[in-house]
Amino acid sequence: MHKVWALIRSNWLSATSYKLGFIFSFGSLVLSIVPIFFITGALQNTMANVIKGQGDQYFAFLVVGLIALNLVSSTIYALPGGLQTATSTGTLEALLATPTSVTALLAGLSGYEVLLSLVRGLVMLLAAGLLGAHVAWLQLGASLPIVALVVLAHLPIAIITAAMVLAFRTRGPLPQLVLLASTFLGGVYYPTAVIPGWIESISAFLPLTYGLTALRAVLLEGKSIATVWRDVSILLAFTAVSLVVSTVAFKAALRYARRVGNLAQY
Amino acid sequence: MAFRDAIFKRRIVIEQSSVAAPGAIAFRAPGASTSDAVVLRGLTKSFTKQRGWRAVLTGKARESVRALSDVSCDVRAGEFFGLLGENGAGKTTLFKILATLVIPDAGSATVGGYDVLKAPSRVRETLAPVIADERSLHWRLSGRENMRLFAALHGLRGAEAARRIDELLALVNLVEAADRLVSGYSSGMKQRLLVARTLLARPSVLLLDEPTRSLDPISARSFRQFLRKDVALAHGCTVLLATHNAEEAFELCDRVGVLHRGRLVATGATSELAREVGEDRFAIWIRPADQVAIDSLVARGVMRDAKVTPAEVEGWSRVECDLRGGLDGAAETIAFLARAGVNVARCEPVKLSLADLLERVLARHGNA
Repeated sequence: MHKVWALIRSNWLSATSYKLGFIFSFGSLVLSIVPIFFITGALQNTMANVIKGQGDQYFAFLVVGLIALNLVSSTIYALPGGLQTATSTGTLEALLATPTSVTALLAGLSGYEVLLSLVRGLVMLLAAGLLGAHVAWLQLGASLPIVALVVLAHLPIAIITAAMVLAFRTRGPLPQLVLLASTFLGGVYYPTAVIPGWIESISAFLPLTYGLTALRAVLLEGKSIATVWRDVSILLAFTAVSLVVSTVAFKAALRYARRVGNLAQY
Repeated sequence: MAFRDAIFKRRIVIEQSSVAAPGAIAFRAPGASTSDAVVLRGLTKSFTKQRGWRAVLTGKARESVRALSDVSCDVRAGEFFGLLGENGAGKTTLFKILATLVIPDAGSATVGGYDVLKAPSRVRETLAPVIADERSLHWRLSGRENMRLFAALHGLRGAEAARRIDELLALVNLVEAADRLVSGYSSGMKQRLLVARTLLARPSVLLLDEPTRSLDPISARSFRQFLRKDVALAHGCTVLLATHNAEEAFELCDRVGVLHRGRLVATGATSELAREVGEDRFAIWIRPADQVAIDSLVARGVMRDAKVTPAEVEGWSRVECDLRGGLDGAAETIAFLARAGVNVARCEPVKLSLADLLERVLARHGNA
């Protein structure tokens, strides 16, 4: 864990060495809430019935959806992105030559982006709260395990993408496909129940669908985590199975990269 | 040179090595320590060439490039061992195998008794590669923060880590610049920081891959002195240095291995290798360029491989040649030329370039 934190800390220091960019990124995040507030306000009457059971206010519904989507995007791209950066900047070889486990290296390389995304999510939620979003603030702590599960459920996609980067120097189509499907079929902008016909069945295979249902129930409806056990169980099962598959894929990619000698090439 | 000779003056026995590749020339120093820090046995590695689309579409077989071929060698504990070879000789591949970054196709490599395939994490605790590429530093962090990160990755914590970082920054003379961003460091400072970073783990084996390639000659000399005195001698590390600079290898190393197209064609004590392949080479300034006298010396077996070129001063010629018996041969040659009525203005040993050295080693390799 000490090694993971050391890597996260170094990424944090590198990012904050660009002080102006860092400050602007948070400033623009807060400002981006304002148009969302007005647009969702205009759509409130239309969406009120559609989102029933997942909060009573479309503004809060969408903010939670966007926060979760950003978190998913960061989780999926942080690991392969971290690997690509470490390869292109030349630090990967030096990191791999230390007595650090691959798991710790991967967690350390991607941890900063995921944590930053969490902080950005919290800032966005607070800003939304200031604009009047209906959030069950006392349930914030209870929502954290669900947030963690959403991250963990998407980690295997990140690991498989990282395996592609390691072996073939390309991310492949998987992260884009998952993100695209999650954006339009995962319940970010509208509940999955309104998606027509057979397309809706695709949403059943997306972890974000279950994560968002559980998150909104707890954070917007104020329900306990026990009431969303079905969604949480599906997320857990998805995570367990896909983590095993992705770990096997990553180990195979690492072995392949060591055999062909392209581990630190870019 | 005197420093090196004083430390490493040994009686050298030239013998056919039991561990070097078949036919390789080995110069073994008897009485040397038998504890080996690095042991290579039949190490072989090929890389597949990338195929273009045309080759893929026409179904052409994949070509492979042999990077290492049956390399066997022992490096003793505490030794400064040089791997000499031109670009593409296989030096970096060998280092990457030792650093567990590349898996060999055949053969074995052990570091401190640990097999690179069976116990890679143990190997990484024992051996540390100095990745000479400046890009492997975090440029947006200070020198101290770079050190702090790698101290953590090597399992150092708290006060122990801080003390070790301070010690090493002092060793590499970077105390004053420690809290500045690395992006503002000169190439020499970055190289010193790379070495300090590697020493954090107190490795018993250190790999240096062309550490002076981005340094100017003055910085390179100062860096070489630092490596010899402060790294190898003070820390007692076994050092493997890959270089294509023969002068650097001869200045730093106790023993040298010569890699050529993936084969270890010679290993030996540096002083002996230098003498064997280079110390009989001389340049003589003569007037007139009496070809008959030169041919006569060649016929007598005193001189060989003579190349006569006009010297800078009109009327004088420069003869570069091998003289049997080194300085004795030079004295005999000068006396012979004087008797033949040829004026001799100057006679001096010639330093061999890496290309000349390789040519000679390979000629011997062929003979062996």
